[in-house]
Amino acid sequence: MPSHDEERGSCGSTGRRLSRRSLLQGAATAGAAGLAVTAMGAAGPALAAANRSSAPDRPVSHGAAATHAGPIVVHVRDARTGDIEVFSGTGQTRLRDTDLAARIARAIG
Amino acid sequence: MSSHREAPEISKDPVADSTDLYAFVSPDKPDTVTIIANYIPLQLPSGGPNFYEFGDDVLYQIHIDNNGDGQADISYQFRFTTTVRDPDTFLYNTGPITSLGDTTWNRVQTYDVAMVSGGSYSGLGTGLPCPPCNIGPLSTPDYAGLAADAVSSVGGITVFAGQRAEAFYVDLGAIFDLGDLRPLANAHAFGSLSAGPGVNATNNLNVNSIAIQVPISAVTISGHPVIGVWTTASRQKARVFDGDQGDYVNAGPWVQVSRLGNPLVNEVLIPMGSKDLWNTLPPDQDKRFLSYVTQPGLAALLNVLYPGAFPHLAAAVSAATARADLEAILLTGIPKGVINKTYTTYTGPVIADMLRLNTSIAPASTPKILGLLADDVAGFPNGRRPGDDVVTIELQAVAGATLPLVDKSFTPDAVVGSVTDFKPDPPAIGNPPTGSFPYLGTPYSGYDQPS
Repeated sequence: MPSHDEERGSCGSTGRRLSRRSLLQGAATAGAAGLAVTAMGAAGPALAAANRSSAPDRPVSHGAAATHAGPIVVHVRDARTGDIEVFSGTGQTRLRDTDLAARIARAIG
Repeated sequence: MSSHREAPEISKDPVADSTDLYAFVSPDKPDTVTIIANYIPLQLPSGGPNFYEFGDDVLYQIHIDNNGDGQADISYQFRFTTTVRDPDTFLYNTGPITSLGDTTWNRVQTYDVAMVSGGSYSGLGTGLPCPPCNIGPLSTPDYAGLAADAVSSVGGITVFAGQRAEAFYVDLGAIFDLGDLRPLANAHAFGSLSAGPGVNATNNLNVNSIAIQVPISAVTISGHPVIGVWTTASRQKARVFDGDQGDYVNAGPWVQVSRLGNPLVNEVLIPMGSKDLWNTLPPDQDKRFLSYVTQPGLAALLNVLYPGAFPHLAAAVSAATARADLEAILLTGIPKGVINKTYTTYTGPVIADMLRLNTSIAPASTPKILGLLADDVAGFPNGRRPGDDVVTIELQAVAGATLPLVDKSFTPDAVVGSVTDFKPDPPAIGNPPTGSFPYLGTPYSGYDQPS
């Protein structure tokens, strides 16, 4: 079924499951990281500029059709390995960039 | 309860918490199927000034599998939008709400409905009105009229989303007090309680319903009259509280946080350590939970909680008898020939918790709340009607009432017919289900309840 499978795909494509508790904790951490990404020139306003997602109604598969009109949330899963998740619209991208992770970590202070 | 607060994580997120799911051939329009998915449990009607509403940041879905693979072939999606007309008042309404367009209604909710099928997405309706909550005689003097005006016909379906009266009944307080059933309390192992008639924990409470009525021909395929139904709620993967705005920022793909097919499966059969995971998965992944259905912990508990009352069941538990009856009722459907030559809810061998409805079985002229246990083939577990006593049906099934369907040598214990949370009768519902869409009763008003 397209909608459901796409939901699963977007969740399971990381190969690891996030509990909702860890997601909230991670997302809260990523709030500051998101600002750092914006400062580095990524598209989209700072988190504080938005109070609601501009996500389209239909579930979208991993990394597809992300709209950058809304907030971008960055979750640095592991700064040491550079394991980063980036969320925008209803899209998600997984990066492995130790330099970016280090810069975000330095920005947080 | 059926699925109210049934898992640790979703119990903290009532807006996304599915509570009950109903699916039945519409008694007044038997060429259609009605599906009702309830959310936001245990609403105290007087719970203002911020009354109950769907989550704008939640994707609600009703799924239908029509070929037995445990995957959705048709999904109806619902997204809500809340509008505050006057942010400078604390009031939900500034005067009587006499119509859905009345400007005295300050916090208005509308919704979009779409259908996903065969890989294509079809918007069916946008900006459809929800009714307000039932505040009281001064604020919502003609609540029934407001609710009727909130029934929409779009894209070949009839749809409603808004507050309704709770139709589910259960003696929650006793059941979760170490499995006490008040009618049998005098036989309970722990204590010296007296037997009693049962107390309805959901008495005079409300829920939020999403109801659809669709032609049977639109949701079935040729030769497959049995459909599997479930509902889900999803949130976006990243959620950050924006302290500058006092609101949440959401981003990322939708992830499922709530699921409901058959009543009480996640609540009673799935163990605590797996409940949150269960809520995130689709039905076609349920094989991993099979042992919790075929070896239910509740069956083992009954003879401990009520010593000596269930000797035959205890023997079956000791022999590690796999409960193929429960597997059929809840996870595959009942094959033809088990009940009689024609009755079936079987969808195939795929293990999947779905509420299965044989759309070729006509509605009962005189429904019986014990459904199949009372030879009413139009009732649970053939779909579920709002009045069906699913707690008693499932308790008695787990206690062994349905085991003879697959094991003719098994004789249910004599007490099984008395296994219920209400005796002699189920509780009276103040605003009971009705005979027409959306079938659940008018929600209780905050002025009147609690009384």
